[in-house]
Amino acid sequence: MRRMSPPPYLVVGRAQLLGLPGPNDDPITAEAVGAAIGDEFAVEFDPPSVVHGAALDTFDRRLAAAGLALYHLSDPAGQRLVLISEKGGEPLTTPIADARWPALVSALPAGGIRDALAPVATIRALMVLDGQTHRLRQGALRNEDRKILVRFELVEHATDAAASTWLSVKPLRGYGNEARNAARLLAAAGLCPVKPAPVVPPRDDTGARQIRIGRSAPATKLLVTEWSAYLATIRANVAGVLDDVDTEFLHDLRVAVRRTRSTLKLGRPALPEGVSEHWEPAFKWLGDLTTPVRDLDVYELGLPEMAGWLVAADADDLQPFADQLRRHRSAARRSLVRGLRSARFRSTLSSWEDTLAELSGSAPASAPKLTVGTLANRSIGRAYRRVVRDGAAIGPGSPPEALHSLRKRCKELRYALELFAPVSDDTARKRVVSDLKDLQNVLGRFQDSDVQQQTLYGFAEQMRAANAPTRALLAMGELVAHLGTDQQRARADFERAFARFSRPAGRDRIHLVRTGR
Amino acid sequence: MKVLAMYNIKGGVGKTTTAVNLAYLAAREGQRTLLWDLDPQAAATFLFRVRPRVKGGSRALLTRGRSLAAALKATDFEGLDLLPADFSYRNMDLELDDTKKRTRQLGQLISTLSGDYDIVFLDCPPSISLVSENVMHASDLLVVPLIPATLSLRTLEQLTSFVAEAGGHQPQVKAFFSMADRRKKLHRDVIATLSRDHPHVAQTIVPALSMIEQMAEQRAPVPAFAPRSRAAISYEQLWAELRPS
Repeated sequence: MRRMSPPPYLVVGRAQLLGLPGPNDDPITAEAVGAAIGDEFAVEFDPPSVVHGAALDTFDRRLAAAGLALYHLSDPAGQRLVLISEKGGEPLTTPIADARWPALVSALPAGGIRDALAPVATIRALMVLDGQTHRLRQGALRNEDRKILVRFELVEHATDAAASTWLSVKPLRGYGNEARNAARLLAAAGLCPVKPAPVVPPRDDTGARQIRIGRSAPATKLLVTEWSAYLATIRANVAGVLDDVDTEFLHDLRVAVRRTRSTLKLGRPALPEGVSEHWEPAFKWLGDLTTPVRDLDVYELGLPEMAGWLVAADADDLQPFADQLRRHRSAARRSLVRGLRSARFRSTLSSWEDTLAELSGSAPASAPKLTVGTLANRSIGRAYRRVVRDGAAIGPGSPPEALHSLRKRCKELRYALELFAPVSDDTARKRVVSDLKDLQNVLGRFQDSDVQQQTLYGFAEQMRAANAPTRALLAMGELVAHLGTDQQRARADFERAFARFSRPAGRDRIHLVRTGR
Repeated sequence: MKVLAMYNIKGGVGKTTTAVNLAYLAAREGQRTLLWDLDPQAAATFLFRVRPRVKGGSRALLTRGRSLAAALKATDFEGLDLLPADFSYRNMDLELDDTKKRTRQLGQLISTLSGDYDIVFLDCPPSISLVSENVMHASDLLVVPLIPATLSLRTLEQLTSFVAEAGGHQPQVKAFFSMADRRKKLHRDVIATLSRDHPHVAQTIVPALSMIEQMAEQRAPVPAFAPRSRAAISYEQLWAELRPS
């Protein structure tokens, strides 16, 4: 039998955790606690109850990263959420009924926990990551007025564990002396302090990966490492997309697909014949499969902000538009789910995995012998030149398509900079990325406004044909006007952002990034 | 942090039972809640089984000789703390009179706890005094229990005028009928007239119930010891109506 650790939600705030000195000692009992301190205080324990504690976090562990731990505790008396901060202080608790996980923070009861979690979890759903069941007895030390001065929680052994028992002694505000006295008496009876479990358990590293590779290493080694990580991300997010847990699963899956596609393109010179030709279309199919739902997700997520743009219309006027979005999303999701459950999807991923295994083995004689350094130099240089060339060609009369195309070139450069980060001059790369981000931001605002206007026209046409209320169409008209203004602003910002990116200092930095010196 | 004061110029109208029950309900739904028993009679303090004593008395609090935080006591209910009454509070008016910004002192004291609590309830003594003026300035909402009697309207109007004349920050005022007896025609008539004509009167009516009187025996809020009782349901309805958004 394994020896359990005390549940982290047991000791929070100013409570003290006590345990037994040796593993073979008799378990702590309510009677033993009463005998140890009963001469000075009245001690009472409730009958034992089974408490299940489910640890909750977002898929990407945002709560843990913010130093927060959230538990959903269930016992016969009811259910509650407990939010603990590793900074200390008393935990926040709130009763909860009929909780169904995963759930967005907006589905939690109004109050302190929801307020604290909203900026941390944002649009990610809370999911159950782990669960533990303990047999627990609540106890209290009371004075002659039967006022509770100190609370006890006695964790009795669970069925699958050795006889590990713990007693938490929790002083109530204003009654610290009584708690200290009780702890002193319990220590005299043989109990000793136990280090509580960390509030936020150590988490798997989901942060930025550090790849150690030299410029002289084969380029395929770097590419395979990156692609393997992207493949793992795609696989990890499929279940969340199928279950429609939150919109970020699809977003993360798409980013991994897009990066794979982009690095396939960048890696062409280093790959054996046929690899890029086969896999670029395969990942394009996968990207295209996910696009319709993501586009609609972006609309749905942006609706509250869009409602804030309205001047003449009321936010409620957009409801028919929201309904229309939902209908379209349901239909698009059916296609997406069919695609992700298809044999084609499964075989694409498994064949890709086989290809990665082959590429990481001994390279065929026909494969180019390109090093990471050479590929970095070529890829970054080529991507940079294309951004500068296409950007310089944009003038006041250029069509929106020219800016859209430049945005794609910028993404390619961005992926190249990220791919070759392990062999680049870090300071120069960060400065280049900073300028590039600014340019991408301007181009993103321009294109998003353009596409959203076109899509809104399309939706409005459909809704008009379906006799949607005039107020809804007029409200959508206001949105189009707002987007039009945004687009003009972004267009006006373009010259500044591009000039900043393409200035001579940027060129020098790109040289440093390409050559690693 | 929101501050709700249970206030009426008259005594014996149900201020303490309202404060205790609403504070319990706020804490039960997860709000970090404090109840300050400002009444030297210490009824709320008694109901929570806490000793009615603050070291140094009201003078120590008002002169900052003792912080409010140091005087707090946890109740037996999770998330609900009490700042106990002390017999010295009977002199609080005089002590406030000796301070600078004498009508703002309680508000300033309460604001020192703004990071610790989501909601603060004040159980006020029945009077119009400097303490009352402080309560006006400190509160977001005055909750006024009214016994349905002919003088209720006059009491409410006196109170709303007092608030209007206080100047500066003015709390919202919400009265509700407390200790109502539907068997009495007078009660029915007053409730009908005032509920119809007065914008400050809540819809919830808390009847005169023996369960509420039993709070003194049980020394606990009604929803804690009789959660399915009519009294508990009345206070839940009242809280649903008064809960700050």
